[in-house]
Parts: sequence; C-alpha cells; structure tokens
Amino acid sequence: MAETRPSKRVAAKRSGLGAGAAIELLGIPIIVLVGFAAYAWWHSVADLDFVEKSSLAWGDVWLQIWQHVRLTLVASAIVVAVAVPLGILLTRPRTKFLAPGVVGVANGGQAAPAIGLLVLLFLWLNGDLSGFWTAILALALYGILPVLRNTITGLQGVDPTLVEAGRGIGLSGRAVLFRIELPLAIPVIMAGIRTALILVVGTASLASFINAGGLGGVLTAGITLYRYPVMVAGAVLVALLALLVEWVGRVLELIARPKGI
Amino acid sequence: MWDFIVDRRSQLLINAFNHVYLVLLAVVFATIIAVALAVLVTRMPRLEPLANAVSAIGLTIPSFALIGLLLPATGLGDTTALVAVTFYATLPILRNAIVGLQGVDANLMESARGMGLSEPAALLRVRLPLAWPVILAGIRVSVQMSMGIAAIAAYVLGPGLGVWIYTGLTQIGGKNAVNYALTATIAIVVLALLLDLLLILLGRVTTSKGIRV
Repeated sequence: MAETRPSKRVAAKRSGLGAGAAIELLGIPIIVLVGFAAYAWWHSVADLDFVEKSSLAWGDVWLQIWQHVRLTLVASAIVVAVAVPLGILLTRPRTKFLAPGVVGVANGGQAAPAIGLLVLLFLWLNGDLSGFWTAILALALYGILPVLRNTITGLQGVDPTLVEAGRGIGLSGRAVLFRIELPLAIPVIMAGIRTALILVVGTASLASFINAGGLGGVLTAGITLYRYPVMVAGAVLVALLALLVEWVGRVLELIARPKGI
Repeated sequence: MWDFIVDRRSQLLINAFNHVYLVLLAVVFATIIAVALAVLVTRMPRLEPLANAVSAIGLTIPSFALIGLLLPATGLGDTTALVAVTFYATLPILRNAIVGLQGVDANLMESARGMGLSEPAALLRVRLPLAWPVILAGIRVSVQMSMGIAAIAAYVLGPGLGVWIYTGLTQIGGKNAVNYALTATIAIVVLALLLDLLLILLGRVTTSKGIRV
C-alpha cells in the first residue's frame, strides 16, 4: 500500500479536501444510519422462525456490538500507545540504523494471515489468558505494523533543513520533535492509524472463533445453522460497524491535522 | 512438527497448490476488471471520485462480512471463496490503475495519435505500458491481501491452507492442533513472500524497455 499513498495524498492536498474524500466523509454516516434503520425495520417486520428470532434477539446483538466496539477500542489504544513511541525511538539519530530492518519486518508481517495469528495465539495461550485478551493481543500485533511503518516513514519524510532550522532558533531536541517533526508527520501517522482501525475492526469479526465475542458471533451462528436471514443480518451489522469505525478514523484524521498543513 | 509435515506432505502440497491457485485466479480476474474500469474512468474523469470512494468503502467491509453476504447467492464452497477474494483483489489494483493511467503525459497520447495510432492502439501500445509499473504495484498489494482473505474463506469450505487453520481450531487440546495451524500459517507467509518475489521478477520482464530504470 505504501506505493499508492504518496500520489493520492498529493492529489488530495492540491484540491483541498478532494471530491472523493468529501463523498466518503458525508456519505458514510448516511449509509450507516440508513443501513441500521433498514435493519431495525426488517427485524421488526420479518417473518422469522424461533431459531432465527433467538439468534437475532436485540439483547444479544447489542451485547455483541458492545463487545466488538470494546475489542476495537482497547486494541487500537494499545496499538497507538506502543507503535507511535516505538516509531519515534527508531528515528532518533542513535537508533536510526534499525529503522529499515523494522520497516522490512513490518511489511513482511503484513503477509501473515489474521486468522492464523488469532488461532495460533489462542492455541498457545489457552488457559493462560481469557479469550478477550488473547483477541486483543492478536488484534494489537496486527494493527501495530501499519502505524509503526507510517510513523517511521512520516518522521523520515520531514525535511532535515526544517529540523536544523529548529535547532538554529534554539529549540532543544525534544522541542524540535514535538513542535516541528511530529506535527509535520501527523498526516502520515494518522493515515497509518486509520489503516490499523480498519484492520482491527475487521479482524475483530473473527474474535468469536476464540470465544472473545463480537459481531462475528451472529455471522458464525448464521453459517453454522445455515439460516440465510441470520448470516446476512450478521454480515450487514459487521459491515455497518466497520464503516462507522472507518468514518471515526477519517474524522480523527481531519481533527488531528495541524492547521498549517 | 517435522514428522507431522512429512506424514501429511501430500495433503500440505494439495492445500498449498489450491491456495495459490485460488489467489492467482482471483488476481487475474481482478486485474482484468480493475484495468477495464480504470480505462473507463480515464475516459470519464467525473467518475474518479466515485471509483475512489467505492474502493475505500469496499476495503473497509470486513472480508468475513462479505463472505456472509455472498453465501445465500453462491453457497458453501469454492465459488464464494473466489468471488470474495476477487472483490478485494480488485480494489487496490483499481486505485493504482486509475493513478497510473491518468499519470500518462497528455502530450505523449497526442503524439501517439499524431503518428497515426487509433484510439485502442494508443491505449494498448502507449498508455498501458507506461502505466504498467504502477498497476503492478497494486497487483503486489492485492496478492498479499488475497493470501490472508483466502484463509478466512476456508470457513465456508473454500479451498486452500485455511482449512488446516480451522482444523487446528476445532482440535484444540489435541496433540496436532498447533501443528495444523502453525504449518498452515507459516506456509501462507512463505508463499505470499515467494509470490511477491515472482511479481518483482515479472515486473522486470514486462516493464517496457524505454522506462526501465
């Protein structure tokens, strides 16, 4: 994905927000609201048999939505708390030489299938950790890669003459980092965080395989029972939640962008 | 673990072959669909924001959700896996193909026309070769992503190495549970990296001599 980013970003910068970005920013909440309203309406009028009704009872569905949101939020918070400081550390003069290796490993790690990581951690940690924390560990490991990579490339992309100018006007190394380097790298770092959010919320739909809850539960129930209404309802709910989380990522990206850029 | 692999090497090879076959077939379909759509977008630039929005929103939909949506139409098995993987494989290629095709200098296209090339010939002999390295970068992203999505599709009886991951999950506590899941996961990573290397080589061979660096 690294190859596609720069050109896209340049294009977006040139035309302010960009027509595509505007469509997505306004369109996504509308899609989610309409979709959820349509689901609620369908749920109230659909002719469901006993099995389908009990799989789609509102109480269970809300619980699974809440579990899914909690998995996503906790894992994403851990990702940001680990990956951003680590990325900063790996671009400091003394440790800079490690960065290419870490970026290489991060790119390679992306090839690991999410389901494999989740199942393996579950098999290894079964009994030592609850399903919830096993899922959090897998989601966080998976989400760290894009944030770490973007933090490093974002900080490396800061024009060295600006850093020198900062030192020249008497800023300490720490002040240069917080007042020049990080603000300039924020757009790239936030793009990484948004990618991680999408990966995490999507992978969280597999967490029900290891008894960690989440909306994947409705979907797996639908597939196991082979009831079309249940599997489609589960799929729609997972998709709507993922779209909502992605939208939150977009809004965060806009809020975090420093005014100067 | 070594004994485990040796005992089941034929099954492992079959699963690995099916996995790669599924991914390559999906990526070939995806490339054809994406390039065709991108050519359409280059002719009608007003569609570009729409295409970008579709590809961004599409990538957001979790693959497991799409599989659930497809099941009533395509049923359990290979078809669902192929359709789902093709859908996700299309999106990165589409984005790159649009950027690549639009990035071709308009003057070059005009000179191609001036030399007497028809519109389709100019597209095939000038625009596509110049955009190919960017399209190929999209294909590489697609292949890496598809390897993982194909593994998930094994839940609805799709082919490939994902089958062993779910076998490991259902045999939890059994002595071979970890062997199944670990072998399959490592095999997927290794195959993904091998395919990436092959695509880099393919890029060397298929990039037009004039723009090779």
